[in-house]
Amino acid sequence: MAGKILEMINTIVEKRSGGSPMVARSIRARLVIKGIDVDAYTETSEDDPEVIAKLQQIAKELGV
Amino acid sequence: MAVVTAYSTATSIDAAVAEVATQLSSEKPKLVVYFASSVYPPPELASAMDKAFAGAAVLGCTTAGEIASGRMLKNSLVAMALGADIVEDIAVEVIKNVRDGHGTEEAVQALAAHFNQKPLELDPTEYVGLVLFDGLSGAEEMINDKIGDVTNVFFVGGSAGDDLNFSKTHVFVQGQALSNVAVLALIKAAVPFNIIKTQSFIPTGKKFKVTEALESQRTIVKMDGEPAAEVYARAVGRKVEEIGEEFMRYPLGLMAGGEPFIRSPQRVQEDKIVFYCAVKEGMVLELMEAQDMIPDTEAAIKAADQELGGIQALIVFNCILRTLQLENEGKTEFFGKIFAGYPTVGFSTYGESYIGHINQTATMLAFGSRR
Repeated sequence: MAGKILEMINTIVEKRSGGSPMVARSIRARLVIKGIDVDAYTETSEDDPEVIAKLQQIAKELGV
Repeated sequence: MAVVTAYSTATSIDAAVAEVATQLSSEKPKLVVYFASSVYPPPELASAMDKAFAGAAVLGCTTAGEIASGRMLKNSLVAMALGADIVEDIAVEVIKNVRDGHGTEEAVQALAAHFNQKPLELDPTEYVGLVLFDGLSGAEEMINDKIGDVTNVFFVGGSAGDDLNFSKTHVFVQGQALSNVAVLALIKAAVPFNIIKTQSFIPTGKKFKVTEALESQRTIVKMDGEPAAEVYARAVGRKVEEIGEEFMRYPLGLMAGGEPFIRSPQRVQEDKIVFYCAVKEGMVLELMEAQDMIPDTEAAIKAADQELGGIQALIVFNCILRTLQLENEGKTEFFGKIFAGYPTVGFSTYGESYIGHINQTATMLAFGSRR
């Protein structure tokens, strides 16, 4: 399977930013600082379980 | 009230505080921000400043050099008074025992509660945060991360210094000088504001993946599967034993949306590299190359000035490594003059905060004209 990581990143950014582009940019930066290289994932990126688990934890931390 | 800044190089606390208080005495401030060399005994200074500005929120920290409008100073006290026309309201919270990692969420909740809101309800275009850390706590990454988890408000700030003694740093709040703390202030601004982040580096295109790190020790063990010091040495074209000479010129950048968040190497430990802020395994870092920071900083401030329709007040957190670089290049005076046209207060930090903990950067909070 592929593309789940990008989907999760987009969901986290969208939900947490509430449509504010300024907040969306900062959430993407926060994800990078938390260790997720947001620009590296595309719709064809492999569903790495380690990254998915990390994103699930981050989503919890961000209250998403 | 117009924003007033003041400084004193008087050697006694009484004289320095009196001099600053006289310069700032025009009207009753809502917030007084001050930064001071550690040559002033911190507890006595905190107490004297609190008494001098009773009724205002009074906060600051010890430094590794001070900045006042147009001047880079040493062994001084600098201060800025902000009235209700800029700071509509302010709440301040102290996170104690920051090394333990608890209390951030509660502190942000208390700040928001002061404004009868929940942290996530705060509008980041109306509210802005200031954060000051004990600069030797090593807790900045953890606290900044937690702040960002619970609110969308931006907190900008820096880590206290102690004139490069690396012995003890203090944050001033409520008349006290505290260590092992972070102080958070949430400001409801009466005017538009902007956060400036400028680091004066360009990416070189040389990227490395951190494959082994000791995060709590701010240490990279391996990059791309090889000892970190060897990888870095190859990238800068030097021998491992020489790379310390290149650290200031070639730090590493964590790129987010094309924007670098600088991680500065501090020292080589065997074949590992110890940094001034934490790096996680899996991060991709890019080798950055230093540029002239004077035009870069000047351009960043001018852009904010235009966007805000004129800067009324500027609070600057400038990395001590930038200050040292300016001293090495004989450019300190030129850098200070960048701020001559703006009411400015600031200091040379042991680390800067904006979204996360960063190095070799200047972060600034600029207040503009009336909404």
